[in-house]
Amino acid sequence: MEYLRLVEELAERASGGDGEAEVIIMHSRTTMVRVNAGEVLEMSAADSKGVGVRAIKGGRMGYAYTSDFEPPTLDLTLSSAAALADSSDPDEFRALPGMERDLVENQDLEVFDPELSERSPEDKVAFILAAERAALDHDPRVVATSYCSYHDHTTRMFLANSHGFAGSHESTGVVAYLRAVARDDSGQAAGLGLGCSIFYRDLEAELVGCEAAGKAVQLLGGRPVKTQRAPVIMDPFAGVEFLSFVANALTAESIQRGRSFLMGKLGEKIASARVNLVDDGRLVRGFGSAPFDGEGVPTARTSLVAGGALEQLLYDTYTARRDGTASTGNAQRSSYRGLPYPAPTNLYLLPSSRRVDELISSVDTGLYVTSTMNTGGINPVNGDYSVGASGLWVEKGEFVGPVTGVTVAGNMLEMLHNVADVADDLRFIPISDSIGAPTMLVQGMTIGGT
Amino acid sequence: MDTDRMIGDEVARRVLTAALSHGGDLAEIYVEDRCTTNLSLEDSKVEEAVRGTDRGAGVRVFYGSLSTYAHTDDLSGRSLQAVARNAALAAQGANRVQVLDFSRAQSGLEFPIEKPFEAMEAQEKSQLLRDLDQEARRFDPRVVQVQARYSEDRRRIRIWNSEGRHAEDERNLIQLSVIAMAQEGDLVQRGVGMIGGQLGLELLDRVDPLAEAREAAASAVKMLDARPAPAGEMPVVMNNGWGGVLFHEACGHALEADFINQGVSVFTGRVGEQVASPLITLVDDATLPERRGSYRFDDDGTPSQHTLLIENGVLREYMWDMAQARRANRHPTGNGRRQSFRYLPMPRMTNTFIKAGESDPEDIVRSVQRGLYVKMLGGGQADTARGDFVFSVSEGYLIEDGRLTAPIRGASLIGNGPEVLKEIEMVGHDLELDKGLGQCSKGQQVPVSVGQPTLLIPRITVGGTSEIP
Ligand SMILES: [Zn+2]
Repeated sequence: MEYLRLVEELAERASGGDGEAEVIIMHSRTTMVRVNAGEVLEMSAADSKGVGVRAIKGGRMGYAYTSDFEPPTLDLTLSSAAALADSSDPDEFRALPGMERDLVENQDLEVFDPELSERSPEDKVAFILAAERAALDHDPRVVATSYCSYHDHTTRMFLANSHGFAGSHESTGVVAYLRAVARDDSGQAAGLGLGCSIFYRDLEAELVGCEAAGKAVQLLGGRPVKTQRAPVIMDPFAGVEFLSFVANALTAESIQRGRSFLMGKLGEKIASARVNLVDDGRLVRGFGSAPFDGEGVPTARTSLVAGGALEQLLYDTYTARRDGTASTGNAQRSSYRGLPYPAPTNLYLLPSSRRVDELISSVDTGLYVTSTMNTGGINPVNGDYSVGASGLWVEKGEFVGPVTGVTVAGNMLEMLHNVADVADDLRFIPISDSIGAPTMLVQGMTIGGT
Repeated sequence: MDTDRMIGDEVARRVLTAALSHGGDLAEIYVEDRCTTNLSLEDSKVEEAVRGTDRGAGVRVFYGSLSTYAHTDDLSGRSLQAVARNAALAAQGANRVQVLDFSRAQSGLEFPIEKPFEAMEAQEKSQLLRDLDQEARRFDPRVVQVQARYSEDRRRIRIWNSEGRHAEDERNLIQLSVIAMAQEGDLVQRGVGMIGGQLGLELLDRVDPLAEAREAAASAVKMLDARPAPAGEMPVVMNNGWGGVLFHEACGHALEADFINQGVSVFTGRVGEQVASPLITLVDDATLPERRGSYRFDDDGTPSQHTLLIENGVLREYMWDMAQARRANRHPTGNGRRQSFRYLPMPRMTNTFIKAGESDPEDIVRSVQRGLYVKMLGGGQADTARGDFVFSVSEGYLIEDGRLTAPIRGASLIGNGPEVLKEIEMVGHDLELDKGLGQCSKGQQVPVSVGQPTLLIPRITVGGTSEIP
């Protein structure tokens, strides 16, 4: 592949002989369709590529990028990265990964759908219209949808550094979602339906539409409950949102910068024995899977929390060197326009073999949460957690009615200790990072209502 | 970068013709060339130094209420033809239009740059950040951490559409910010200093950046002595300037035409009605020199304008982009904006502010027996359609017997934007716009300015005991 040779050559030239350099090219094709009331509102298609150059010399780092591959612009980008390195301050831990580890050879991660490029725009329009139709047909009380859209991408990444690393990776992803709006005499309610897959053929329009409609209808007539302390059952949507804050606190960067409630807790028990958290960059069909990370370090399966004990953090090369340890292969690049940073690959809470209905029937009085809204009540430093929530009220192990307009609050460290049970329904919701959760039961939350 | 690397009339004509080859009502090509530099300092070190060029184009085709869009960052003729074909893909329209002759739109507006960004080396800009860090730390030993950031952004755009419109614009933004963290025991407080605008490096000659570092340190240290905020309903005096962000979030968005056309805004169908106190005149004006939200042409190529949204409390106009205006058969108000060529434009605010009134700001404070004086708002959230909001107060003082007394912490303002607009009792003569860092997020990020004179809100709920992060 031509781009692989280009990144190798640029990395060699950018290092200038006595420095280190890394070059990335990302090339992506994306399509999007947005519909409403059976009509297409927007369609877009994009083809974008760009190159980013990271130069490090004497612990000083500079980064430059461009989307123009003409030789004069590439030359300018290389010299720009070097000049920016000169203008920054030295940090003894700034360095690129060495070549001490061999790249584990291509295990098939099943993250590329060769058929996606054969799908026509008409197929995609028909798909998302069918999802909307399914939501509207699911129940007569579903009157409209919003944000009904289909997205897909094909991304190719080429990475090389001046220590001799060179590799490429390609992946696809397909996402469809919509909000269904239901209305009856009691008022209005909304529900989100989401489908995500690596492979186009695995995505089912009816499931996306019916999920949104089912959630909206079940919240009709919802009211706040009295303010009280009670257990909360989080469905995978609510659980993934909670875990995304935990995942952020688990990055070495948050901890080193003093922005994590898990500071100083490595090796300690931070959660109940039910909590096992794993980050797996080689998960087959994982949305965040790749053979190597954004710095060329081989990805791995890392046990972060085992039986409630904090065992490991998410490291890239810089944060690992600062802590005198090895990178866990968690350097992420969201685009060629930015520096790598430590973040999850596929991070998830290990499921059990218990069914969701068993979990629910074990609760005497509590709230089953199907939707949360971040209203700015999350403090990553002290762990305070407060979100707007809606769902179903549970009494004696049964759903007794919808609840809306309440807040669910606690402290994230206490919440982790209070995880009493997890179910078997692990689901990944890759909205920003690829994070997965099964339904989970958390004791002793504060529900704020009337 | 030389602009000649961007495309010209002939290429534009070929692309628009290809985009309309399957029918359509209107086709447009938007070309952008952008160069940004960001430097940031933390722990007294310049750690991130990033520079990039973004160049690309997007082609849009309207067919009735449908619009299709395709974009690329490859400006070669072959790539642009492929983009035009992609944009034409959804065409089922029987409508056939011709690409008219282009005529270059003229604007009387000038936003001259006296000292271009290249006039200073990256090293000097880094040194400025180190100086800011030292200045803030020298101010008081309780200043324990400083974050400083410099950024420059030069964006050139060209737009052609099949109705013969050709518009060009250039926007230069500079900003410098300092956040100081002061600590005493377990208590950490934050202070912010910032300068910025649609300017070149002459900004650094006009205002002393070091004064911003001292200001950030002073406000962080002052807040260490703050006592917890009182809760409940009380009168609030909002300082002039940045407080306008509350009205931007809680009223301005509801006046954007997409929310109006969807019928979800509280202001839908209310033009001509009294929607605010007669003291309130709310304006959106993209023609102001040196402001972050200003431009000669918007991202649809429509000339920018001064738009009277609310006049003496009466609703006069909404903010329209081309797509929403076509849908409602209205004239665009030059409010079509996009984050970059990767996005479709949508109706957005520019520089939005409440006009000056007649009261003396000191009289406004003197009129309050017991209440809250808000000097600086922190983060906030607002439901854009209904206008419900929660904002934290990052610097505030008690008002007792008409005088500012103790600093308070942990206060937040809770209310409904349109309701607050109706209740405002006094408007100062001291209109000021923010200091140049406004960024508005509505799926896409665009630079904006907000502003207001000192205002008296007779009753608002002050709540929360949570610490300000
Ligand atoms: Zn906004």
